[in-house]
Amino acid sequence: MLDTILIAVVMMLVLGALLGLGLGFADRFLKVEADERVEKVTSMLPGYNCGGCGYPGCSGMAEAMVTKEVNTFLCKPCKPDKKQEIIDYLKNTPGPDGSTVEIKG
Amino acid sequence: MSELVTLLVTSVLINNVILNQFLGMCPFMGVSKKKSSALGMGVAVVFVIVVAALVTYALYYLVLVPIGLEFMELITFILVIASLVQLTEMFIKKYSPSLYKSLGVYLPLITTNCVVLNVCLVNITNAYDFSHMLVYSVGTPLGFALVLYIFSTIRERLELSNVPAAFKGNGIALICAAIMSMAFSGLAGIV
Repeated sequence: MLDTILIAVVMMLVLGALLGLGLGFADRFLKVEADERVEKVTSMLPGYNCGGCGYPGCSGMAEAMVTKEVNTFLCKPCKPDKKQEIIDYLKNTPGPDGSTVEIKG
Repeated sequence: MSELVTLLVTSVLINNVILNQFLGMCPFMGVSKKKSSALGMGVAVVFVIVVAALVTYALYYLVLVPIGLEFMELITFILVIASLVQLTEMFIKKYSPSLYKSLGVYLPLITTNCVVLNVCLVNITNAYDFSHMLVYSVGTPLGFALVLYIFSTIRERLELSNVPAAFKGNGIALICAAIMSMAFSGLAGIV
């Protein structure tokens, strides 16, 4: 009985490790170069994915701001100080092409 | 040979996974609004199911049976499927960002798409040999992709038609799915 449990646990661990290793390698080969500002802005947004801005989720909203698709701040549940932080961040951080983003509050 | 052809026709049309077994309804309703995303979803599901079936079949007979852990099939299969979906997601993200966007949340949800687990488990419970397993695991997702595509063409036309307000959107889509299901049950006489 104990043997079976032990084998089962070891088997799951080995299988998980193998699959994880495979995914780790795949991640290296299939990496997508993304504008790092999108990730940064996404992490500063509340992360509720409420959809109140009209985008499918917070990352969609962040991407729209970084690519200048919108120039107003649409996130409603965002706290005022966080909002200012995002606006300042985008104003002061140039993207890969050297331009910055101006967002109206 | 003729047995394999019968199995193929059965798994694609007669025992269709959506319309006869009512599995995988979530992507069926979710990504059938546009033809292109329905096709992309179909291809992704075919890929995931074929690879998942091969891997789980090998895993079951080469690992689980020899060490006497047949009862672990469910949890190990889920592990394999989840990793494969992750891999597919990375692949699509890299090579087709537009498809990645249009599939949205339904792409990682292939993990919980019951069609995938169903195919893997049926391969084991029906004790299929390798060729039957292969035919069944190709046929079932093909049936899924086919019905998803047909349904998306219907839904594109539904967008333009004058539907009573109470039935707009998912309501009329479900009614169409029911009619499709009845139509497909007529195919039962083929084999």
